[in-house]
Amino acid sequence: MACFVERPRTTCALGGAIAVINALPGVTLVNHTAIGCGGNLSGVISGGGGNMGDGIFAGSHMPSSAVGEREIVFGGANRLTEEIENALDVIDAELFVVATGCMTEMIGDDVEAAVRAVENPRKPVINISTPSFKGDAYYGYEIILDAIFNKFVPKSEEKDSKLVNIFGIVPGFDPFFRGDLTEIKRLLNKLGLKVNTFFTADQTFEGNVLSASKAALNILLSPVWGTTIVKNFEEVHGTPYFQTLLPIGAIQTTKFLRDLAEHIDIDSDLLEKVIQEETDEYYADFIRATDTITNRQWYFYSATITNSNYAIPVGKYLYEELGWHQNDTIVTDILKPVKKRALTKAFEANDFGSTLTLDTDTQRISRELIKRRPRNQGQRYWDNNTPFFLLGSSLDRTTAAEVGGTALPISFPLSSRLITTRAYAGYKGGLQLVEDIFSTLLA
Amino acid sequence: MAATTEKDVNYYNQAMPPVRDTRLQIADTFHGCACEMADCSKSGCLLKKNRSFWQTNACQMALTLMMCSTVQNSVVIMHGPIGCGTQLHGLAANAVKGKTNRGLPDQKAPIWLSSNLGETDVINGGEKKLQETIEYADRTYRPEIIFVVATCAPNIIGDDVEKIVNITNETCAAQVTALHCPGFRSRVVASAYDSFYHSLIRHINFKAIPYKDYVPDNPADPAAQMGEAVFKYKIAHTVNLFNATSIGYQDEQEMVRLLQALGLNVRIYAEYSSADDFRLLPFAALNVSLCNMHDDYMLKFLEQEYNMPYIIEGMPIGPDQTRKWLVAIGKFFGLEKEANLLADYEEKKLAEAIEPLKPKFEKKKVLLGGGSVRVAAEAMALKKIGIDVIGIRGYNFDSNADPVFEELGEELPDVTLTVSNQAYEFANQLVKYAPDLVITHNGSHAIPARLGFPSIQLFDAGSTFFGYGGFYNLAKKIIFALENNNLAKNIVGHARLPYRKEWYEQDPFAYQND
Repeated sequence: MACFVERPRTTCALGGAIAVINALPGVTLVNHTAIGCGGNLSGVISGGGGNMGDGIFAGSHMPSSAVGEREIVFGGANRLTEEIENALDVIDAELFVVATGCMTEMIGDDVEAAVRAVENPRKPVINISTPSFKGDAYYGYEIILDAIFNKFVPKSEEKDSKLVNIFGIVPGFDPFFRGDLTEIKRLLNKLGLKVNTFFTADQTFEGNVLSASKAALNILLSPVWGTTIVKNFEEVHGTPYFQTLLPIGAIQTTKFLRDLAEHIDIDSDLLEKVIQEETDEYYADFIRATDTITNRQWYFYSATITNSNYAIPVGKYLYEELGWHQNDTIVTDILKPVKKRALTKAFEANDFGSTLTLDTDTQRISRELIKRRPRNQGQRYWDNNTPFFLLGSSLDRTTAAEVGGTALPISFPLSSRLITTRAYAGYKGGLQLVEDIFSTLLA
Repeated sequence: MAATTEKDVNYYNQAMPPVRDTRLQIADTFHGCACEMADCSKSGCLLKKNRSFWQTNACQMALTLMMCSTVQNSVVIMHGPIGCGTQLHGLAANAVKGKTNRGLPDQKAPIWLSSNLGETDVINGGEKKLQETIEYADRTYRPEIIFVVATCAPNIIGDDVEKIVNITNETCAAQVTALHCPGFRSRVVASAYDSFYHSLIRHINFKAIPYKDYVPDNPADPAAQMGEAVFKYKIAHTVNLFNATSIGYQDEQEMVRLLQALGLNVRIYAEYSSADDFRLLPFAALNVSLCNMHDDYMLKFLEQEYNMPYIIEGMPIGPDQTRKWLVAIGKFFGLEKEANLLADYEEKKLAEAIEPLKPKFEKKKVLLGGGSVRVAAEAMALKKIGIDVIGIRGYNFDSNADPVFEELGEELPDVTLTVSNQAYEFANQLVKYAPDLVITHNGSHAIPARLGFPSIQLFDAGSTFFGYGGFYNLAKKIIFALENNNLAKNIVGHARLPYRKEWYEQDPFAYQND
């Protein structure tokens, strides 16, 4: 039985679907819910996702069946059919995804029948089941993309050996998703690959979403999220997948590119050339920064409070590239046992001398971190693990302050920053993480 | 002042508060001219109106959270699946700002929990889990008040939340109460206000505790009688002002300033109050609302239970409405003349400041949207300084606002009025009307901006809109927006809204039906 959670850093499955259509081109979500669900959740995502905004289709633009007490008692399927018909007339989308909420799932509306009842729809309409009691936003991300790519996108026998899809990065809940995906795409483009990121500004419904089945490889940049998508993708479209972590900084990115070359055909000379070029550029700037870092002796005992996607790459970067003691790696995702095992396995495979803690509750995390940095209680010598630097969400700033540390918010809810193209992934991203960490200290 | 009816009394004894749909004449759909609105409300024709195409917006739960998250030393427990109430991340930040502005002792971000109902809970019931969550919150965070927010799911499966509240009130140190606000029960978000007040009425202590809140008089003390007389005098000159989320600290202070100028002592409820404040609530001569659609449920209760009279007299936006509001209160205390003199003085000062700005407002076409009472009050005030109000969008309506709309019907009879929080209708209206300026609800500014129109906030808890100072501030904001609209102009060719071009060719209210 799921336990209660203090200040969960997620929303419901419907919220995950909304986050996806916030960034996916040409797709709208018809909410089969009470009138408030979509608006409430959009606000959480656009604010918590680094003030990412509502995109084109999310926010108050989403159609909603706006079910009331009457529909809860007598059923809302007819209202939904009417809503879809009119949404098709008003909304300029290429694909209409009908998503349910708790109330309409509980009363058992036959959503599939309601969708079928729409006569000659102008555009395709599909439906997904996204009640909150079944899963959180990360599941919602999997549910909607699984439906779009594995049930809707047409199959393609011929594969483009240079085309890859990227999965695993969740819009909003990974607040740097646009920048991170852009950086990965930039690097893969240099290696002669074509990349479907789906969520960056250059993507289109026709050119990227519909052509996804032609991809020769799916790259899953997450230890836990998106596995359903890529596994089903392999079954339906025959495209294999390569699961790895989002690389941050020169060391991880170089390794990522070399590992990738084992899964897709990349010219090895080109690979080495690109790595050399990027590494040289990276270190030229990184070394300039180290003048300040070393002279100010900015080495920290650190902790991260993030989702599963960022936990390992960020922690490893702090340890491996900045020479910090990354003591506490705290992951706030609500994970089922199988995902927990997957995360632990990935964590153990990337040893950086840290402890992995899975905890969803903000205050409990805060207390634990403070406890590990005790104040002097009259001892002559005591170990308080300071100076302390915390990379967490906007909620965790007070925790760092309580132990006299510094905080840089990087994870959801990231309401205290406005993120556009900023990235922490790749070579460029590593440098931007350096900029943000040390600018915070300089401020 | 409306008379308290027998029906109102009964609501307070129920576990569940009524929604506005059952208590009042409500509307979430209407279009016509301003002069038709009040009649339509009275004849009941509003009730038949509906839409065949809806877009998502907010629910009553969203607004209850805005209110209860501000209460000091409180913890909010979302009784529902994991997604409900996650907007508290954002609301918490606003609450911290509000607490800091007011210099309150508790400036922490409010803590909230989700009972995180899963599939098994939805089948087997979530009462046990709710009790565990409440008791955990009580012993872990030691709050003074615990608000349990009952969302759609527990209301459909029939969890007896009130039973759990009663049980935990025995086992917990905190006062535990419940906000019953399933989103499906009402599309009229104003139901939230009743739900929040109902939670206070049901389980929060409004009675002062001797030796904690006051030291009882010692009959042997010769000064006791004098003390009592002083206390009674103070109460007789004390006003409780009821705030709202849209009313910021500076707005409160503007109204406090004016009432203090009449020699009154002012206290503010219920947002940003604490358990201590609530116990002293009845020690006042009068309760005053700042919005027709906000407080009647609570004020009628206080009249009924504590014999406290109340005044609901519009929203003090612009000099005319402010005078009306001020004089109504003055009248109650026998200070009508003083209130008028104060309004005369303030209006003269304001007129001197506004006069040189007036040419800039001349014939500027403005479309207003947001809370019904606020847009109506602001429209009337803007008309007086030469602005051409071309359309009013009230987000939702109930018959509490009848007096305001009767007045609006007389002042601006021909202006297009719609009850709508729908983005597609808004976008269509903007394209059709091409206003010089849009004044609209927070959260809806991206729509005019993407179409190239300048827009300013209808309200903003970080700024001031009420009274005389507020109106000058509003005038300045209008001029700022009119003088430089480069941001919207900059994006207009590149931005898009998700509507088909065919939609813009239709009537904005094509999906409204009777």
